[in-house]
Amino acid sequence: MNGPQKTDKRVPLLKKSGARSVFASLVSILGGILVGFIVLLLLAVFAEDIPFSEAFSGILIVLGGPLSAGSAKDVLFQLGNMLFQATPLIMTGLSVALAFKTGLFNIGAPGQYLMGATGALIVSLSLPTDVIPSWIVWILALLAGTLLGMIWGAIPGFFKARFNVNEVIVCIMTNWIAANLVSWIFQASGDRFINYAETKVSFIRKTASNGVATATLGLDKLLGNSYMDISIFLAAGIAVVLYIVINKTTFGYELKACGYNKNASKYAGMNEKRNIVLAMALSGALAACGAALWCLNGAQDFIWNTYLSLPADGFNGIPAALLASNNPIGVIFSAIFLKYISVGGSNLAAQTSFNEYVSPLIVAVIIYFSGFSKLIKDLLSKERIKKAEAAPAAPLPDPDPKEPPAPAAADASAEAEEKTEKGGNAL
Amino acid sequence: MNETRQEQDLRTGKADSPYVIEMRNITKVFPGIVANDHITLQLRRGEIHALLGENGAGKSTLMSVLFGLYQPEEGEIYKDGEKVTIRDPNDANALGIGMVHQHFKLVDVFTVLDNIILGVEPNTLGFLNKKAARERILALSESYGLNVDPDALVEDITVGMQQRTEILKMLYRENEILIFDEPTAVLTPQEITELIGIIRGLAAEGKSILFISHKLNEIMEVADRCTVLRKGKYIGTVNIADTTKEELSNMMVGRNVKFTVDKAPAEPKETVLEINNLTVRSRIHKKNAVSNVSLSVRAGEIVCIAGIDGNGQSEFVGALSGLEKAEPGSSVLLCGEDVTKKSIRYKNTHGMSHIPEDRHKHGLVLDYSLEENLVLQRYFEADFQKNGFIRFDAVRAYADRLIGEYDVRSGQGPVTVARSMSGGNQQKAIIAREMDREHKLLIAVQPTRGLDVGAIESIHRRIVASRDAGAAVLLISLELDEVMNLSDRILVMYEGEITGEFDPKTVTMQELGLFMAGAKRQDKEASEK
Repeated sequence: MNGPQKTDKRVPLLKKSGARSVFASLVSILGGILVGFIVLLLLAVFAEDIPFSEAFSGILIVLGGPLSAGSAKDVLFQLGNMLFQATPLIMTGLSVALAFKTGLFNIGAPGQYLMGATGALIVSLSLPTDVIPSWIVWILALLAGTLLGMIWGAIPGFFKARFNVNEVIVCIMTNWIAANLVSWIFQASGDRFINYAETKVSFIRKTASNGVATATLGLDKLLGNSYMDISIFLAAGIAVVLYIVINKTTFGYELKACGYNKNASKYAGMNEKRNIVLAMALSGALAACGAALWCLNGAQDFIWNTYLSLPADGFNGIPAALLASNNPIGVIFSAIFLKYISVGGSNLAAQTSFNEYVSPLIVAVIIYFSGFSKLIKDLLSKERIKKAEAAPAAPLPDPDPKEPPAPAAADASAEAEEKTEKGGNAL
Repeated sequence: MNETRQEQDLRTGKADSPYVIEMRNITKVFPGIVANDHITLQLRRGEIHALLGENGAGKSTLMSVLFGLYQPEEGEIYKDGEKVTIRDPNDANALGIGMVHQHFKLVDVFTVLDNIILGVEPNTLGFLNKKAARERILALSESYGLNVDPDALVEDITVGMQQRTEILKMLYRENEILIFDEPTAVLTPQEITELIGIIRGLAAEGKSILFISHKLNEIMEVADRCTVLRKGKYIGTVNIADTTKEELSNMMVGRNVKFTVDKAPAEPKETVLEINNLTVRSRIHKKNAVSNVSLSVRAGEIVCIAGIDGNGQSEFVGALSGLEKAEPGSSVLLCGEDVTKKSIRYKNTHGMSHIPEDRHKHGLVLDYSLEENLVLQRYFEADFQKNGFIRFDAVRAYADRLIGEYDVRSGQGPVTVARSMSGGNQQKAIIAREMDREHKLLIAVQPTRGLDVGAIESIHRRIVASRDAGAAVLLISLELDEVMNLSDRILVMYEGEITGEFDPKTVTMQELGLFMAGAKRQDKEASEK
């Protein structure tokens, strides 16, 4: 399911490299879990108040995710919340993955996320639902948020294309500009948006207060009265569409070509500058759409004084994309997995003597290790080549090959250089 | 084979091996291919031994085994009759084996001296002691006639001097066995003559030299013996004195190869490309890379721009194709239409085909498959897409046709990742793509760079066929052989200007060489002489 750059070859290769990607992701996850376990063990050994056995039960709780919640009702509740919380993460993961495909590093997802949330909140709380049907307001709010994020994402794209400014720098700046801009807008708006009614002045009013909320189809009731709604299905649908766009369309072909080799794309007559702006705009739209979906759930408290910190889901899109080898379909699963582990982490704090700071640490270790999936994938392919070397040479399609392919022909040292280059591109 | 006896002798120390290096029955297998199939190579002390073979014949692989970059599956290496294991280049270095790679391994922003001592820096308690090193280097360069300036930055010196720096690096490390991987590929005729003199001198001093090449003329000129590989197999070792160029090429390719291109006299028709006062600013220095170049190419002729690398050819072609901006006042007319400011795509779809100089930078998306690369300028055409969705079946059918027609060889056919293909086949893929597109103008920049005689022959035939089909061909080449063989008209570019125009039938290579080096120039009005 992973490695879309291989998928479009539509051959047995797909299976091999796809399986390799999945396997690599699993190995990195296991590595993370192992190190997480060692951390728990060390803590249990050195902290006097933590019994040694809790290291074992602790790691099991983390691994259990929502399943280690206890009662069946709690399990369902946590499961529902996990799926709902995974929605924005899927979207930011898609955002980062799309940019990676085009050779760009979108570290601006947090800022785009904030802009998306702001757009969605302002529209959903301002439009009178007694005049306009609330489902129309919902759609308008989603579009407004997405559009705002799109513009926000296009900014670093524009600077990159026009002035060749590294997108990472502009992304980081736009992140903080967004954080302060959002705080300023809401502060200036006073009680119009801020939740004075419930005396929760750090938060924006819930959109449900204006009758705007994502349809749940009874899923929230089914899953222990959780926040569950249909947004995760929308996100999964968007992931599938993105997969198709990247792999089956001329647009995707161009984006990937620009990502792999900007010069050759230019030589071939593609407008690589336009593609950079487009890719960043789309990335921004995806991240913002995720934020809008989260806000429009109806029952969420959006912290408006964002100048203090950037939303974690924006940054966590990066590990979600890496863990999925930038495959949009894979992002659905990697994002859900990351949320699964963090639910397990909160259960760890709730149920054992490990304090609340340990669980994010364990989750961070696992996320950190997910970054190794590319490395492990490369190691695996080397392993595979070794095995193939041991096996008798596969027959070539041509009965009398004049020129042998690949490594034999390439200048050995140049080849080695290319390998290191590829390795260096791990991000 | 009397190897067993020989081995016994070696073990008992009876034999004093006549070979400084002996590689026996080396086999190296890569997925899908046997790169070296039981190859034996014997290098005598003080000889110049050429290693000849087409691209992909296994020359580089064999040398990489000797240099410790690859481990062979089978076979042994003997140094002075003693069996050795070479695990990495450090081992090779310890055995006195040095290599000048095709692409030099120099640090551009370091001086020549720093590059030479890099890795074996003389020091006192960790403090560099360059003085002794400098004296040794100067002594070495004097005794071997290697003229270098030890204090110049590598980025400022000529390619020839960079190569001499590489040679000094080997000598400084007291290497006895010197491997040269296609050393002449980057040099001008004059520099080649100089290099051949240096190599002879090294051999006379007792160094043993392995000289990898697929240029027969050079091998005939410089080598004592020559080992020929073909498709990973050992074909034979011959004494150069007892052989001919034809026999060598026969051994290398397995058939007779023509060295001259069969072509009828050109019948130029209407002007296809007209360039007026083309000026391109340099990206590196303040000068213009191309200044005031005016020329025209007519349908049915091959016009060649000869020149030493870095005299503005890249910028010139860039401005034609649209990769670089031309200065105001320049104009490029394609079939009478001013295309100076048109997009690359417009030119691509209006009769311009372009075989780029750098196939990795511009020619291919290396991580794309062969078939994806073959439609790089056509994926948006109605044949290959419907409503924005790529028609993969049409792409596949098209790729299969081109692969068959142009004999592009690869491990997995159309789905092979371009990166894993050999250089020659990558180039063939580009040529297939550019030739197959309808074109009135073909710009071919060093179309045969790094290719072997067999591939060169086929590409030259294609270019002539394109001309005969009515295309105007603008060829930019650094290889004088190619210039002389292929062109109907020769222009020499020196420092961004056209300094001479010649008829290939009447001009000599030496004369061209003088113009290329800037020693001579024709006046714009009439020729100097």
